[in-house]
Amino acid sequence: MAAVRETVETVDQVASDKYKYGFSTDIESERAPIGLSEDTIRFISAKKEEPDWMLEWRLEAYRRWLTMEEPTWAKVSYPPIDFQNAYYYSAPKQSAKLNSLDEVDPKLLETYKKLGIPLVEQQLLAGVAVDAVFDSVSVVTTFKTKLAEAGVIFCPFSEAVREHPELVKKYLGSVVPTSDNYYATLNSAVFSDGSFVYIPPGVRCPMELSTYFRINEKQTGQFERTLIIADKGSYVSYLEGCTAPQRDENQLHAAVVELVAMDDAEIKYSTVQNWFPGDENGKGGIYNFVTKRGDCRGARSKISWTQVETGSAVTWKYPSCILRGDDSRGEFYSIAISNNYQQVDSGTKMIHLGRNTSSRIISKGIAAGRSSNTYRGLVSVHKKAENVRNFTQCDSLLIGPRCSAHTVPYIESKNPTAILEHEATTSKISEEQLFYCRQRGVPEEEAVALIVNGFCRDVLQQLPMEFAVEAQKLVGISLEGSVG
Amino acid sequence: MTDAARNFIETYERERAALPGAGLAWLGARRAEALKAFAEAGLPHRRLEDWRYTDLSRALGGATLSPAPLPDGAVVLPDAAKRASVAAFHDIDRHVIVFVNGRLRSDLSGTKLPAGVTLMSLGNALNSTWARPLVETKVEAQAGNVIALNTALMRDGIGLHIARGAKLDTPLHLLFLANDDGASHVRNLVRLEEGAEATIFETHLDAGARNYFVDHVTDVSLGKGAALTHVKIQDEAADAIHLASLTAELAASSKLSSFSLTLGAKLSRSQSFVTFRGEGAEAHVNGATALSGTQHGDHFCIVDHAVPNCSSRTLFKTVLDNASTGVFQGKVIVRPDAQKTDGRQMTNALLLSRDAAMNAKPELEIYADDVQCAHGSTIGELNREAIFYLRSRGIDEPTARQLLISAFLDDAFETVPHEAARDDLRKLAASWFERHREKTA
Repeated sequence: MAAVRETVETVDQVASDKYKYGFSTDIESERAPIGLSEDTIRFISAKKEEPDWMLEWRLEAYRRWLTMEEPTWAKVSYPPIDFQNAYYYSAPKQSAKLNSLDEVDPKLLETYKKLGIPLVEQQLLAGVAVDAVFDSVSVVTTFKTKLAEAGVIFCPFSEAVREHPELVKKYLGSVVPTSDNYYATLNSAVFSDGSFVYIPPGVRCPMELSTYFRINEKQTGQFERTLIIADKGSYVSYLEGCTAPQRDENQLHAAVVELVAMDDAEIKYSTVQNWFPGDENGKGGIYNFVTKRGDCRGARSKISWTQVETGSAVTWKYPSCILRGDDSRGEFYSIAISNNYQQVDSGTKMIHLGRNTSSRIISKGIAAGRSSNTYRGLVSVHKKAENVRNFTQCDSLLIGPRCSAHTVPYIESKNPTAILEHEATTSKISEEQLFYCRQRGVPEEEAVALIVNGFCRDVLQQLPMEFAVEAQKLVGISLEGSVG
Repeated sequence: MTDAARNFIETYERERAALPGAGLAWLGARRAEALKAFAEAGLPHRRLEDWRYTDLSRALGGATLSPAPLPDGAVVLPDAAKRASVAAFHDIDRHVIVFVNGRLRSDLSGTKLPAGVTLMSLGNALNSTWARPLVETKVEAQAGNVIALNTALMRDGIGLHIARGAKLDTPLHLLFLANDDGASHVRNLVRLEEGAEATIFETHLDAGARNYFVDHVTDVSLGKGAALTHVKIQDEAADAIHLASLTAELAASSKLSSFSLTLGAKLSRSQSFVTFRGEGAEAHVNGATALSGTQHGDHFCIVDHAVPNCSSRTLFKTVLDNASTGVFQGKVIVRPDAQKTDGRQMTNALLLSRDAAMNAKPELEIYADDVQCAHGSTIGELNREAIFYLRSRGIDEPTARQLLISAFLDDAFETVPHEAARDDLRKLAASWFERHREKTA
């Protein structure tokens, strides 16, 4: 037991370590008046120079939102959110259009550097095009030319609304309708910016696409809107990573991500989420209420979600797949780590509508401190979906006597040819494994790291190379002292 | 509020004075409180998370279910189709207690009980000091307050008290026959003192009634080291609605083994609430279900590890044919400090037809770290390769299917610790095929 006690102590130490990315940059920003009203939405829309149809779309969502109630079914608790006491638009000020990195506000560049996003180096070395979002406006987009050659559209959402209205009109809200849920509807009304990706038929995107989100402005909820369309036979891998500076006030983040995969297309969407989780007393931290959904619209299409969730005070997130096309496939790989007073309620939904559709869910929850970690998932097989396969595995690891882990799967089958398997386990780090490692001279901290890494291995393997390193680092930071 | 719910409230107002234990102040208050809770909640519907897949409110709908009358004449047992259910437990040496329309028929019951075993009517039990804590069970508010309905309206039942160290020599068989349409609200109270042992069989059958509602609650309290085996067969009429709840509180080192076979009723829901109160206790909550036509069968099971060092096992097997629907909602709760808990939960379902549907929600809710908890759930059809294997050895397809389904259900029967009862359950499963084959032929 001594080993475990030490582990618990080392995990507790994390609290005393300052949040590594807890700094904020002082940049003048232009923001909407505090509060939410039709005027706020008109302000945002005007700022974005949006066409009338876009404004109407937003307003319609806003009017619907007013009639909706905040969901309470998740296993999370937080003080009521005052939606009138937040700013819904905030943009870093910039004087003119920028042609190169040199023209970018050096303070911004400095922030990126601290975050570990070396834009300049990335251009040269990493080969990753970055659409960096600082607060709400996409400031710099690189590698545009190269992507343009392949016919790939990768741009800020606001730009897509102006330049590719026909695509936006066709797909926006087609996966997550404005009426979907409370937070998605709110997002539809006030979304500030995000990424838009379109991969033309038969194109394999020449590089991994990546966006770093960052919440910087005090009291600014961020409402990202991402729309990715992979046309017939195309492939794209999209990376999303998040860090946020330390704040005392809770900040609301309600993003919407929509993915559309046509015939034979494949979308791989990876997330590393490391927003401020609140301090060791559960004060502050981000509220992360995200709606992510992929639509396997075409036959033989595939959508794969991979997430590493280490941050946020409260997480409410269920990346889902609608398996509409015959022979389509959905995957969900997740690591959710919670410490101190963090609350995570996350999982996925696999909706099998087409024939021969298959899905795979691997979820690893690690709870430490006084945190609460819930897996909530749905696997649903509709009547006409023949020969469906699903495999679900949810494992939870508990570190310390005060954390909690819950598993809430919903399994619904209306077709006899479907084969659905679900298994879940909950346990702590095995004394025997620890003993085995220590006996061979592995220090305790490293041993715990080894075991936790082994526990997460199935998921870490799914991450693109560029992300795997960062993800491992984050696993380390989240359980710092006991891991790595 | 639905007509059915209003009807229950009116029944209470009308019959309050005639209900057993009417003179007891604490019980009067308890009933009034329960009725209030029921009236506020109404009958459970699908918008309640615990009733997500079963709509009792709709099933009872506008039915005006008056209390079924107390018949004093002869009761005709069901016909050949239910031969196996009638015969179940018949060859086992046992004490038989007969209920008709949810009312105790002492003229049909005969018992010579060993020393230390006291069997009484619900009315008498309610006057005993040991019974009170059972009626004040804390799980009442769970699962949409349906137990509250029973608390308010409970009309008859038995109280079984077994003194310290005493054993019930042969199983107690409670036979519930539905002779007339209407509603029955039965409450059985079972208290086993330290080291006591008992086996209880329960059969629920129709004997003339068609449209009826059974609201059945069994409250069990096990003392230190006590052991109870409970085997239940539910084979109600095709239009009946059967709602049964088992609540059990387990003291240290006690052991509960509960099994429930569901074959009948248009809609059935069988709820188990098991709470560990002392360390080293063990609970087995198992069941098997075989449904056809448009039957709907729901098993709801909550195992609450409130103290350390207890183990629980749950296995539910479901076979669904035609347009039937099966539901399993289970939860293992491990409270803070309930270290060294070992909790397992498994549910398997076989869909035999294109129109059958299964919904499963096996939950884990864990607040302690040094535990071993797992659950599994599978839904699928009969293995085509296994059928092919058997057919290639000269076994015709219906027989091959029956063999495989029997083997599937047998895993659940295996958990019943009483050998003769186990054999009867197997016979019942075989008769289900026969009945079923005749129906579909």
